[in-house]
Amino acid sequence: MFEQLVEIIVNYVEVKKEDIKPESRFMEDLGFTSFDFMSMLGEIEDTLDVEIDQEEAANIRTIQEAADYLSSIS
Amino acid sequence: MNELSSTIYELLVKAEESYGAQDAIRYKVKCADGSGKKATKVEAKTYTQLKCDSEHFTGALAELGERGKHIAIIGATSYSWIVAYYGTVNGGSVAVPLDANLPAEDLCELIDRADVTTLVYDKAKTNVALMAAEQCHGLKNIIAMEAESEVPDALYMWELIEKAAPEKGYEPKPEDLATIMFTSGTTGKSKSVMLTHRNLAENATALDMGYEPGTVLMSVLPIHHAYCLSMDILKGTSVGAIICINDSLLRVAKNIKLFEPNMILMVPLMVETLAKKLEEASFIPAPLVKAKVFGKQFHTICSGGAYLNPAYIAMFKKYGITILQGYGMTECAPVISTNCDSASKAGSIGRCMPNCEAKIVDEEIWVRGTSVMQGYYKMPEETAQTLEDGWLKTGDLGYIDEEGFLFLTGRKKNLIITPNGENVSPEEIENKLGENRLVQEVLVRDSEGVIEAEIFPDLEYVTKKKIKDVQAELQAIIDAYNNGAPLYKRIFKLKVRDVEFEKNTTKKIKRF
Repeated sequence: MFEQLVEIIVNYVEVKKEDIKPESRFMEDLGFTSFDFMSMLGEIEDTLDVEIDQEEAANIRTIQEAADYLSSIS
Repeated sequence: MNELSSTIYELLVKAEESYGAQDAIRYKVKCADGSGKKATKVEAKTYTQLKCDSEHFTGALAELGERGKHIAIIGATSYSWIVAYYGTVNGGSVAVPLDANLPAEDLCELIDRADVTTLVYDKAKTNVALMAAEQCHGLKNIIAMEAESEVPDALYMWELIEKAAPEKGYEPKPEDLATIMFTSGTTGKSKSVMLTHRNLAENATALDMGYEPGTVLMSVLPIHHAYCLSMDILKGTSVGAIICINDSLLRVAKNIKLFEPNMILMVPLMVETLAKKLEEASFIPAPLVKAKVFGKQFHTICSGGAYLNPAYIAMFKKYGITILQGYGMTECAPVISTNCDSASKAGSIGRCMPNCEAKIVDEEIWVRGTSVMQGYYKMPEETAQTLEDGWLKTGDLGYIDEEGFLFLTGRKKNLIITPNGENVSPEEIENKLGENRLVQEVLVRDSEGVIEAEIFPDLEYVTKKKIKDVQAELQAIIDAYNNGAPLYKRIFKLKVRDVEFEKNTTKKIKRF
């Protein structure tokens, strides 16, 4: 899941893949805006064929948290 | 074409007469594809269906004895929400749209404050309905938009619609109260704005913006917000638009491809994010980028709700997209002025709506006209502070040029009074600093007698430009600003944030 997420993240922000760590925070460390983040989750829904709850998504801060959440719903 | 309507009832009746068989609302529904896999499809309702369903809902409310009563509606934008709204106001009841993002306790307080007797809710807000059923003693009916509600004794909206006789013959008057809207102010207690049929209907229909029937709108803003309700739903209906419901902020890009809209109403934060997307692909010819991000058919963004840097208007122009910057507040139902294709000026928030006039009193914009609210519900003191001889004191500072274009310079209540009595508008400084690419968000305020700027830098830009010392780079921006500013407007403190500012539900930075 982590690797899949990294592939998607690099399309949204200019960060090298090797600099993305499980503990990286989307907004503080990777430079996502809240709207970028929402758009990316939309793409993840398609790629992984899952349905993301917008309110639960608002609590996600790090890549690990995103990976855990996505694993729990897929 | 746009024809003036003075009640929401008249607006819907005329729309149905003119565009009856055309789609009014399009939205996604979940289904299973041939192989049993989850999929979505688009469903549509025509103007005739919308009017018919809302008349049945009016009938249902009348049978429940709720004519003239206050009906709260809570949930994300949906066909049911829109039917509940039209059905409520057109039958002489008062709709109270509530912000679905607020905590349940706050919503129960608003339900009590607005003397609501019926609550209509969507499934995602079941927790609110459950709490309201326990705590809001004035509540007589709870209506669920979906079947199989978990709330005891809840009625099912579509069963009521099916069983009730449609309301025929009742016509609300222009001066009847139609809606109470709570402001999502950035400071203090939210205020309950009372708007009549005339306030809302004339705001939606007074200005002919030249939209053709069949224009495809995609509605992305929260529907309880006056800007969305009035401009997407009421204006959209009046011009015979096809209103497409974006089901989640997660899916804006996907839904643009699905619905192929011609225009979208946005708040500045969305415009800024989309600008980045366009900028990232600036090496590709502009028409191709536009087609990829918005689709070839897309042509207009209406921006409102907060200040938009005029640089974005010029930038989007390169891609063949017009941004029409407008200005308004819930208290004016909500649009006060707007740029439009036939009259626009850079840096301005446009000319006043035809049903409204403005004057400047001590730098503050005062507005009068048929869209100005009746007052705040059960808040006489706040009403007296805001309305004076029919004029609405907007609390915004600005000026009107010789051609009648309105310009904003700041917010009166945010004014910083310096120790030597000078007035400084923080927005004026924020807008200047915001022109720098490194500054993503900025808040300027008084801090122990000196002006302080708190900045959230654009972290993507920091990475891209390999900026090592962000603090020093931001200080250089402040120094450059200070060099050109009078002493009393200079910034003496800089605070750098590592997270975005907290926003209210309309994406404005919370000031305090």
